[in-house]
Amino acid sequence: MKNLFEKWKEKIPKYDIAFREILFDKLTRKGGGSEQSKEDRGKQFANNYELYIYAFFLGLFNKEFSPIPENSKKVDFSHAIQFWGSKSNRLDRKDFTNLQENIFIALIAKTDIDLVALEKGELDEDDAVKLLIKTMESYTNGGLILIKEKLEENPNYFLQPTSFLNMILETEKV
Amino acid sequence: MIIRKIQIDNYLCYYDTNTFELSEGLNIILGENGEGKTKFFESVDWLFNGENRELDMLVSAKKLNETEIGDSFRVRVSMTVEQYGEKSIITKSFLAKKEKANECSTSSFMIEGISENSSGERTQVDGQALLDRIFPFQIRKYSMFKGEAELNIFESDSALANLINLFSEAKHYDKYSEKGAFLREKAEKAVEDSSKLDKKNEALYKKLEGDIIYLEREKAKYLVHLNSTEEEIRKIEGNLQLAESHVSNADALETLNKRIKDIEERISYLAGRIDENYTTSLFDENWILVNFEPLHKEFAEKVSAHSKTRRELQSEFDKQKGIIEGEKKAKAELLNNAIPLPNNIPSKAIMEEMLNDEICKVCNREAKKGSEAYEFMMKRLKTYLESQVTEENETDKDEPLFKYDYTNRLDNLSISHEDNLKNLRLIRTKIKELFEFNDDRKKDIEELNEQLEKEKSEREKILGNSSIGAEKLSDVLKNYNAWQRDLKNRNQDQVDYTTKLKSLESELKAKKEEKDKIDTSSANSFLIKTRNILRDIETIFKDTKEKKFDEFIEKLQTKSNNFFKTINIDAFTGTIVFTRRNKVNRTIVEVELQEDGRTFYKPNQSLLTSMHISILFAISELASEIKEENFPMIFDAPTSSFGENKTAQFLNLIFETENQKILLIKDFLHTDKATKTLSIKKEFENVRRDKAFWVKLERPFDANNLKTINSQVITL
Repeated sequence: MKNLFEKWKEKIPKYDIAFREILFDKLTRKGGGSEQSKEDRGKQFANNYELYIYAFFLGLFNKEFSPIPENSKKVDFSHAIQFWGSKSNRLDRKDFTNLQENIFIALIAKTDIDLVALEKGELDEDDAVKLLIKTMESYTNGGLILIKEKLEENPNYFLQPTSFLNMILETEKV
Repeated sequence: MIIRKIQIDNYLCYYDTNTFELSEGLNIILGENGEGKTKFFESVDWLFNGENRELDMLVSAKKLNETEIGDSFRVRVSMTVEQYGEKSIITKSFLAKKEKANECSTSSFMIEGISENSSGERTQVDGQALLDRIFPFQIRKYSMFKGEAELNIFESDSALANLINLFSEAKHYDKYSEKGAFLREKAEKAVEDSSKLDKKNEALYKKLEGDIIYLEREKAKYLVHLNSTEEEIRKIEGNLQLAESHVSNADALETLNKRIKDIEERISYLAGRIDENYTTSLFDENWILVNFEPLHKEFAEKVSAHSKTRRELQSEFDKQKGIIEGEKKAKAELLNNAIPLPNNIPSKAIMEEMLNDEICKVCNREAKKGSEAYEFMMKRLKTYLESQVTEENETDKDEPLFKYDYTNRLDNLSISHEDNLKNLRLIRTKIKELFEFNDDRKKDIEELNEQLEKEKSEREKILGNSSIGAEKLSDVLKNYNAWQRDLKNRNQDQVDYTTKLKSLESELKAKKEEKDKIDTSSANSFLIKTRNILRDIETIFKDTKEKKFDEFIEKLQTKSNNFFKTINIDAFTGTIVFTRRNKVNRTIVEVELQEDGRTFYKPNQSLLTSMHISILFAISELASEIKEENFPMIFDAPTSSFGENKTAQFLNLIFETENQKILLIKDFLHTDKATKTLSIKKEFENVRRDKAFWVKLERPFDANNLKTINSQVITL
């Protein structure tokens, strides 16, 4: 029995390099040790993939499907989806690997894949996974744009502990 | 060891030759300020530790004045000691040559040693070596006690630890624990090398090693933070205690401080319960899925639509083929030729259960054996079971319509998430509840803050009522509040660091266990066993060393307190407490005074001195016990803050101790106001002693003219 999910989660999705400095470096705490430090004010995400997941859902709920422009350089943080949210190495946190399935469900729902062709063997499995990743990158890109706009509007917005939660709650029913 | 004689020649105020024939037991040297007591102490100190420079500063001005230009004389301090029936003479001296009036040049000093055996035979030996042999350097250090202020040994935090290491049995374990660590490291390395041969785990192993190093470093960092925070706390508590000593209504202040502390603790407890990590909860509590339901619906519809299409196509395909077996399968047997459900729904187990119970539990109708419904179910089950085995002989016959089956997994995913939907619907409520909870706590905190302000202004009123002047008071007040604030912050830091350390330690333990697990599966089992044994051995050595160290501290504490109680008879009820603290790479011992279990930060000078002297006596006593030998102790003005009564008491106490003591004090002297003549008070007759001297300047003298200064030694 073939399994798209298994294949998909071995992949590493990418994002537009333009967001690396202004969002990923600014909003995430990479590496351990300094979680309490004052410089980390506003760095509400423990690592890169948290921000990635967040941006994906934000884009998804806001229907911001926005593929990364062709001429942009795409980068990743070399951490396959299957490891996202696993408990190892993170103190005082819970496992949230289950979100991987939710992301996958959303991608299947939102990606135009000819399942009949896939099961007949007319559509290659790898190509189907590529389509899923493309959808994922496009919503994430859309979400990152929304965060960037928020930040430009008010550079201090993310110093409030409720800021990221509110952005999700504000999306209401899609 | 006993000092029999000290002879001082031409050393500062000691003009020509001056001899102190000392006795075993207590020797008291009386003298007014500036008449030669301290110079006596310094000359002995010079003999023991003096350096070879600025020797011209040590020359007797009177002697120099009397010497002709071009002539020379010797400056000398000599000590005759007795040890195990053997006599030794140690002499340190240099030559001073008068170059012109008031100026001389000096030679380097020399230390001569003469050893005399019991039959009176004398031999010349190396003076420095002789000194170090009969009176070891480490013991000398704790035998000389100059004034009350210069108590370096108690201020340097490692000095006491070194001393204890020297005397306690702990030092014998040093070499073992070092060797133990060495062997354990070797064994660890051997196991690691053996594990690394297993390429399968190489990457993980390396990562674990890296993690462990990182965590060890973090741990060390936090340990330093914690130590310095604890030090700060002690400092602040000391400052507060001093400030509080100025306040008239001390009891009320204490009650108030307690109340303030309580409120602050409650605030910090409530603040700790406020969970504002909303962003984290987006992930850990899956809050991010708050609006996910429509997507799930979209997915489920898509999957079920596809599933239906697939079955439709399959059914059509089978029919087209007209194969009997295929027809059998395709035979829907459903009303209106409807598309059948997937073979595996309901599952095999459920079908078997329904057949067994003869009930269709989907439509809640009886399905008695033999009935149409029963047969329908039986057929479905058979079809399913066949579908699980037939594939092999089928495949080479015909190319199937669908090469792959993705539908099944997607179906399952859809079903399993269906159950989770009710949790998603609760997220909004949960968020709301948490917000309400946090808001309530914030309100509570606000109320408590108001109460806190009230208590604090009350405290300021009490502080205002103090024994010091208003100007100084405002300083104290300002600092007092700042200190209280600092104390609160530092206490919080202390808690934070301790928690952090604990979590680091548990993480470190987990990593090490994980690494050990790899070792167990990869490394040679003989190596692992050896390593485990060596680990245990190292632990035993380390623990024993610490135990011996602690035992010694305990002994020292008991002995010190015995002396301390006797010196402070009826005066102070506190105790001296020794605490061992392990710093990152060394051990230190701290001494403090406690009263009712509370640190007494600002003891007065007299109390402090008696504490220090008690410890010195305790050390000396312990040294005698261990080395089976007594060493002399020399004190210069140890009791200047004591007052004559307490001094007398003190002298009577130390008279009882075993070893030789030389005490320089300025008490018991009386100056006649009219004649300015000095005499010894009658009270001195009651002071128990073995020998007494009086050093006094030869009269008349001119205090401004060193050439007239000559200390005379009078044996009483």
